[in-house]
Amino acid sequence: MDEALEKRLPKTEELNPMTKESLAAAFAGESQAAEKYLVWADQAEDEGYPNVAKLFRAISFAETRHARNHLRVMGGINSTAENLLAAFGGESFEVDEMYPAYHEIAKLQGNHQAVRSVNYALKSEVDHKGMYTDAREAVLTGKDIEQQPVNVCLACGHTIIGDAPDKCPYCGAGKELYRTF
Amino acid sequence: MAEPFKNTPPAPEDNGEMTAANIAAALAGESQASQKYLAFADVADDEGYPNVARLFRAVAYAESMHARNHLSVLGQIGTTEENLKAAWGGETFEIDEMYPAYGAVAKLQENKSAQTSVRYALTAEKDHQGIYDSTLKGVEGKKDFGAEPVRVCPICGHTVVGDAPDECPVCGTAGSYFKEF
Repeated sequence: MDEALEKRLPKTEELNPMTKESLAAAFAGESQAAEKYLVWADQAEDEGYPNVAKLFRAISFAETRHARNHLRVMGGINSTAENLLAAFGGESFEVDEMYPAYHEIAKLQGNHQAVRSVNYALKSEVDHKGMYTDAREAVLTGKDIEQQPVNVCLACGHTIIGDAPDKCPYCGAGKELYRTF
Repeated sequence: MAEPFKNTPPAPEDNGEMTAANIAAALAGESQASQKYLAFADVADDEGYPNVARLFRAVAYAESMHARNHLSVLGQIGTTEENLKAAWGGETFEIDEMYPAYGAVAKLQENKSAQTSVRYALTAEKDHQGIYDSTLKGVEGKKDFGAEPVRVCPICGHTVVGDAPDECPVCGTAGSYFKEF
């Protein structure tokens, strides 16, 4: 980031537990607001309100600034090697604990749409975990990962390094629904 | 939203209480993961790992898709009018309750960066509340938001409709850095 900008950001600081708890909750709130506004922007576009859609996207960006500031103050933004380890840890928790538990409960309660939503996420998190492991190995030796496209299914989040498949293996969406990064 | 996908996201459902709580927790988790990965992508760019940065952005997008699916299951993707009401409600809670409480705790505990991060957010949420309020009134009369640009400060999230100020009144960042939507 530009140095002129960098110096205006709130810095990482040693936080008291209650303040840390507050910022962690605020980070959760801002992150969810940012995601909701993006989804609601798509909805506004579908209803023929392109400028309301633009407004939702702008405010979503503002919330991402707040989320980043809170995360930074809490010491959650570190070197790439550390960030990859944190990312791997988050994915592992979701894969090993969170989503399997949520899946069982949704199944028990006969909530089929929740089961679908959980399964879509769980399957992609397994992909992410592997990608973060490989990326960390590269970064620990000072190397970037290879320059290949990363394709993401817009329906279920299936993530693949390289070309998109003709049909998503998790949800059956066609190739045209993949977004390339 | 892409036409072929419109009817395929996991649909709203009358969920069991435990399942609803779990999907809400998963929405919070995915939203936070997405924001972290976007912040981590910027660090990777700064450290000279453009392909790791790309991977982080792709996976952040996948997490956004999971967040959207969970939001859909929870029945929280309404009409634009309903979405604006919900957005206004969220901002109002943050302004009236959440950030003043968190600001007071951070001040009591003399955590200065946390106070800055809270102040940046609280100030911008007031901008958002006002803009959502007038936009909601427009949409209730089937009127779109105006065509003028919305500009957002990349440091504190200060949000203005129309031209950027010479200098951000909240954090002092030059107006030339504002992101235009």
